[in-house]
Amino acid sequence: MTEAGRRRAGDRRAVRWFHYAMTGPALGLLLAFLVLPAVYVAWLSTTASTYGQPARFVGLDNYAHLAADPIFWRAFWNTFFVVNGIVYVELALGLGLAVLLTGPMPFKAAIVAVILDPSATTESSGIVMWRYMLEPDVGLVTQWMEHAGLPTLEWSTNPIATLLLASVIAVWHHLPFTFLILYSALTTVPQDVLEAAEIDGASRWQAFWRVTLRLIMPAILIAVLFRYIFAIRTFAEVWLLTEGGPARLSEVLAIYLYRETFKYHEFGMASATGFVMLAMSLVIALPYLKQMYREAARGP
Amino acid sequence: MVRRPSPLERTVRALLVALALVWSGLPILLVVLSSFKEAKQIFEVPPSLLFVPTLDNYAVLWREKPEFLRALGNSLAIAVGTLAVTLAASTLAGYVYARLRSRFLDISAFGMLAARMLPPIIITVPLFPALNALRLNDTHVLLIMLYAAFYVSLGTWIMRSFIAQVPLELEEAAAVDGAGMGTILVRIVLPLVVPGLIAVGLFVVVFAWNEYVFAMIFTTRNARTAPVVIGEMLGTVEGVQWGVIFAAATVQLVPVLALVVALQRFLVAGLTAGAVKA
Repeated sequence: MTEAGRRRAGDRRAVRWFHYAMTGPALGLLLAFLVLPAVYVAWLSTTASTYGQPARFVGLDNYAHLAADPIFWRAFWNTFFVVNGIVYVELALGLGLAVLLTGPMPFKAAIVAVILDPSATTESSGIVMWRYMLEPDVGLVTQWMEHAGLPTLEWSTNPIATLLLASVIAVWHHLPFTFLILYSALTTVPQDVLEAAEIDGASRWQAFWRVTLRLIMPAILIAVLFRYIFAIRTFAEVWLLTEGGPARLSEVLAIYLYRETFKYHEFGMASATGFVMLAMSLVIALPYLKQMYREAARGP
Repeated sequence: MVRRPSPLERTVRALLVALALVWSGLPILLVVLSSFKEAKQIFEVPPSLLFVPTLDNYAVLWREKPEFLRALGNSLAIAVGTLAVTLAASTLAGYVYARLRSRFLDISAFGMLAARMLPPIIITVPLFPALNALRLNDTHVLLIMLYAAFYVSLGTWIMRSFIAQVPLELEEAAAVDGAGMGTILVRIVLPLVVPGLIAVGLFVVVFAWNEYVFAMIFTTRNARTAPVVIGEMLGTVEGVQWGVIFAAATVQLVPVLALVVALQRFLVAGLTAGAVKA
């Protein structure tokens, strides 16, 4: 805690009405556009609701329908595999990259600048870039692979290939985030601790596993948590490749929800799907939220 | 301890770095380069690096896709609007959370963080009909408010940790001189938290400029943004005009890429300053 922080912990300035008013815009935005709609979704998920009809309470029927819908389960498991694939591949690549770039290196600032580039691209342009390389028949990499006699990625017809490519593109987009968190954590590992470990006879490999990795574990957990939370929302990559096709086989939960809402106007079903996504996110975030609750109670 | 790396180690490291550069930069480079190629050169393998650049694709984009230019304008207006709303709301709230304590403040500070865990897509279900009723669909204001809502908690937490570093004595001295809350905030605190403002601003502008899903769902024509138009150009049935899309993607990318590269050191500051700290 900083000097200013310590001072303020003992400081008990009276909170005046205008202080509460100053939090108003921020809290108002969150309430109006996130919290209240989410609460409404929870209620809506227990109703049968569509355009032009008042919502009718049906209890847990929507969840029962979901549980009986093979397309939902397909979307659920697709999401499960995509999310876990993205998170752990990204963690491995991000950690490797962060380790690779720790320590002196010529042109390091320029190298880091290039590595951050994908985070500045919009999802639709990302799809443009990857389709340019992997478009069936004409894509640059596709042509090259055909030329070399290698099998090509049939992402437009094979749902597993679709999800694979969507995951690759998602990793490409978000690797800079994971990399930056781990890279800045690595720069805080004190060199003398590593030296002490090596003097005690640890190999560099052992020192990395037993010392470095332990010291940056909080950062790793944060990176993993945030990537889980955001990967559950995966939509654009799959949508822009095949819209969840062929035959809804490559749908993820966000696309399933989108279709229920905007195509079938089954708002109850869509809300139940949303609530499943919400529950998944909260379960994953629980340990983090517990810790942050203590932090919030302690003050900045 | 500075260990002298062996030649083998140095070679392997250099190769891995090269691989990382190809992975991150090549997809972007290919599209930017090919936006200056003629249609028949675009899918040549191996792609030619030496070619006579042409602006044909940009000319076609300008002539035949007036909606793209309009969408760029929309994206700019929405990014600037989101920036203003988010910075104002985050700074005001961040100040209070940094300087004052009460039961309500503790709980709401935590609540802001917890709200970030909600998958935003779920709110499209109740929001869409509500916004239709309010006639807010397809307006700039709507996207600005949505994006600000998605980023205001990150922004508040970043500003809270930056403002907490500002010595309280400075504020007290100004208060003794008779400065009010507003003066203290604008004259004393803000100049000292510029890096925080830049960090929040960078996150927000990059997000608002690039956001796809909500722009796709909540706009039709009037407030359509550039990422959505690029997505639509990909989905055209009569065959994709690759060169023109490359031109559009390049125009959309260059300003935001320049911003990220120029301000990258603030990204790290922002990420560690409370956004995602353990």
